[in-house]
Amino acid sequence: MVEERRILYEHLDVPDINTFDVFRQYDGYTRFEKAIAEYQPEEIAKMVLDSGLKGRGGAGFSTGEKWSFVPRDIEPRYLCCNADESEPGTFSNRYVLEKNPHLLIEGILICCYAMGIETTYVYIRGEFTLGKKMLDAAIKEAYEKGYLGKDVRGTGLNIDIYTHPGAGAYICGEETGLIESLEGKRGQPRNKPPFPAVEGVFRKPTVVQNVETLCNLPFIVGNGVEWYTQMGPTYADTRFDPPKPDANTGTKLYCISGDVNEPGVYELDLGLTCTELIEVAGGLRGEEVKAVIPGGSSAPILTHYELDTRLDFTSLTLAKSMLGSGGIIVMNETRNIVDCLLNIMKFYAHESCGQCTPCRWGTPWVRDIVQRIADGDGRKETITRPKFGVAENGRWGDTGETEEIYEDLDLLESVANNIANVDTMTWNTICVFGIAVSWPAVSYMRKFRPEFEAAIREGKLVTLPVAEATVPPEENYAYQQRFIPKEFADL
Amino acid sequence: MALIKLNDLEIEVEDGTNIVEAARQHGIEVPHYCYHPGLSRPANCRMCLVEPYGPIPGAPPGTIGPARQLATGCTTTVRSAPPERKLEEKYDAIVQTDSPRVKKAREDVLEFLLVHHPLDCPVCDQAGECDLQDYSYRHGHDKSRYLEVKNVPPKKDLGPDVLLYSTRCVVCTRCIRFAEEVSGTGELGLINRGSHDEIDIPRSHEGTPIQLLDNKLAGNVVDICPVGALISKDFLFKSRPWFMEKANSVCSGCSVGCNITVEYKADGVYRLKPRFHEDINQHWMCDDGRLGYHYVNSDDRLQLPLKRVDDELTPTHWADALTVIQEQLSEVGAEDIVVIGSAQATNEDNYVLQQFAHDVLQTTQLGLFGQLPGEEHKFPQFTIEADKNPNTAGARTILGSANGNVVLEDDALWEKVSGAKVVYLVSGAPERPLGDAEKAALESVDFLIVQDILPSEVTQLADVVLPGTTFAEKDGTFTNSTGWVQRIRKTIDPPGEARVDWEITQQLAKQLGGEMNYHFAGEIALAIAENVPGYADATHQNIADAGIKLAGNEQ
Repeated sequence: MVEERRILYEHLDVPDINTFDVFRQYDGYTRFEKAIAEYQPEEIAKMVLDSGLKGRGGAGFSTGEKWSFVPRDIEPRYLCCNADESEPGTFSNRYVLEKNPHLLIEGILICCYAMGIETTYVYIRGEFTLGKKMLDAAIKEAYEKGYLGKDVRGTGLNIDIYTHPGAGAYICGEETGLIESLEGKRGQPRNKPPFPAVEGVFRKPTVVQNVETLCNLPFIVGNGVEWYTQMGPTYADTRFDPPKPDANTGTKLYCISGDVNEPGVYELDLGLTCTELIEVAGGLRGEEVKAVIPGGSSAPILTHYELDTRLDFTSLTLAKSMLGSGGIIVMNETRNIVDCLLNIMKFYAHESCGQCTPCRWGTPWVRDIVQRIADGDGRKETITRPKFGVAENGRWGDTGETEEIYEDLDLLESVANNIANVDTMTWNTICVFGIAVSWPAVSYMRKFRPEFEAAIREGKLVTLPVAEATVPPEENYAYQQRFIPKEFADL
Repeated sequence: MALIKLNDLEIEVEDGTNIVEAARQHGIEVPHYCYHPGLSRPANCRMCLVEPYGPIPGAPPGTIGPARQLATGCTTTVRSAPPERKLEEKYDAIVQTDSPRVKKAREDVLEFLLVHHPLDCPVCDQAGECDLQDYSYRHGHDKSRYLEVKNVPPKKDLGPDVLLYSTRCVVCTRCIRFAEEVSGTGELGLINRGSHDEIDIPRSHEGTPIQLLDNKLAGNVVDICPVGALISKDFLFKSRPWFMEKANSVCSGCSVGCNITVEYKADGVYRLKPRFHEDINQHWMCDDGRLGYHYVNSDDRLQLPLKRVDDELTPTHWADALTVIQEQLSEVGAEDIVVIGSAQATNEDNYVLQQFAHDVLQTTQLGLFGQLPGEEHKFPQFTIEADKNPNTAGARTILGSANGNVVLEDDALWEKVSGAKVVYLVSGAPERPLGDAEKAALESVDFLIVQDILPSEVTQLADVVLPGTTFAEKDGTFTNSTGWVQRIRKTIDPPGEARVDWEITQQLAKQLGGEMNYHFAGEIALAIAENVPGYADATHQNIADAGIKLAGNEQ
């Protein structure tokens, strides 16, 4: 039985941990003090790079590498904390904000020190009213205690934090959409490049980090890089010579929901398998696992064939999915995948910002096709396809064979792939929202095709038994791995 | 300069040029909707995707291949690269605009653009000059796969001259960016989200407009709209664009001299559209000029010469009118005649008039008449000038070009007119009210000859009225306030018996025994080039469509 390893959440349940005094009793701000006493800013950045910390917001980009792109000669630079947690199935940042906001402030302080930043904006999802209230109170306290403001603790650092509530758009969780919204404009992602590290908030270099990523910083500084890298697997990317280490270090806040007995946020080492995770969350509710969404609703779905997939950034990428925000949704045998896809597509069609053409008009189209299939109006054509071969009359020619073609499934796949192609991983859109739409659409349809076909054939939603509903890996290229797996080996 | 390999072409462009412009300069079309050279580049239509080449990560140095992601041609700029970063050892960029990937991407984007489009080309004003039509034809699918219900956002009245057919809108946001960046008035914005995006003006909750698209540059949003969404009320349902002929000309509305295209049919002028000129009007023109052409088509236009019979202006024929004038002019001395040129008329008109005054009448008393000044309007990237005449600078120089000529204006002119016996006034200004002093001065004249286009307060005082022509009915040149000499071109025929102004003057000169024999405006321009200081290069051939800047006006 796998045990939770609580680091970020260690003191989450301590009463009044949201107050400065209690937080202080549990080593609060000592890591920041250690950072300014013992390390130069560049050394902190080096530690973060060496720790292999990957951004926890979704893309899984190396934090240390991101920091290295920030030009240090342009003033001012900004830190933008992304607390616009809105991926369906994800709810880990919310607990940090509501219960232990000082931890986030400490993480921000360390980041500001390392990057020479004086101003931080925390963009909080508008619905997190309690989270914003708690964070605002903690910030006020930190100002009073001299950890924020002018000349922090007599070190000469000036660090300010401003909180900014979102107005309820999913796309403002995308870093450049967030920046636009923060600047008071319509929340629409920018064209990249330039990336925010070069031109971000108010066109100045900006570090955009997720709450969870920032909360990791105190522990990396406090306990050292060596301690941190023990947790989670590090792979070797043998596409490079010499092989490049591909770190999946640290713990991850997995938000487990769906058909498990004890849904909730679990802090676990990266690299556990789906099966282990379901076990941690009190086991499956129901008879059989039908599917697992590994990283928020935009991640491609995993079938029961793939339950031994390790839930870390690299393994899931190899499995043609992604860890994303760590929002894991488990579905048992009673769930209808067409219905699930419809639910997700309704969300994305509603949340498309409408800035660029493929996404603006593609997402509602995909939703409408799925809706039509779910309503039992999907188009099926039985056609006689001229197949060359020996026909009944013994002559070479048309065999008169019939073939069922599910036109709407082909259309669904084609339209989704035209927004963003999941096979080539290319998109015609401005931001990655496009791929967040086509990933679920195409993967659900390919992996659970029998259920989609049944819905069209029967004219209503049909929930098939798990074994029948799933296309086995050997029969479908949806499972194919983008990189050849043998090139990756455990270090 | 940067060297690019564009498809199979090897081309050189200036640093900082984007792929769309680089391709356009060499005759290759990269389709686009949101990109406009005069506006910022949001790259939201995704139509101009191109395939850039570059080093392949992980491959041996020197190997290049297509980039994983297509790039938008409008935001991809090329620059001269240092030697170690040249591709294939000499190119600064290698770009494909017609590879299979690019073609597929264009098709896909076009399909999305058309899913909610009503396909109402038969009743759409834009049909024939619509980027959606053209690109669909050239780059799109031949059929639709869309079965669902289309969005039907409402038709909106945005302002005095602009209608929005929201159903046709492709949300390229050109109009929004125009209102923000060029006019600086910012009346337009996007409402709703996603597929329900709509362009709109600020409205109250009940839907009543708070602010209309009512600025003097508003008409430009109709021009830059790549589809039939923004429509000019003035032109609505008037004509199919392919039925109209086009001529490059210059706006006569003020002294800026915006380059325009006059679109006309045999029965009149249908609309004016701005034409790009880098130093004068860029891509824009104001609504005063755009909608100010209606007097050309007016039913009230003077069509026959008029002469005063029993205190009534009565139509007559040209020979009669000229004879009456000849009689009057031969009775008075040169010092009692004042010849007044017009800032509304071309350089050629004024030159012939000046020659007539100087050589035939032998008077040096000349005046300059024109439209009353209006208001100046300044926008972030555009200015409408207060001087409402297209050719004040040119007329002033040319009237005063001959030996001893004095060009009087305003009070000095009216003082001179008060004492004159015969005044030959060329006007050509539509709706020109007269001030008290002007009126008194003209009333005191014994014999007033007025050459004009419309009945006005001036013609009411005249003894003989000669029907002249507007900017749309003659060839010639205007000199704008910054010293640009530019051509206007004849589009339609003058109404009735009206004649080109210089022809009338020349006819009159001949009647009085003068030796003048010009056959067309270009010939007069050659005479101007020879005789007027500064205009040496200003022949019609040199001016062409781009215009030339007079010496001494460089900044």
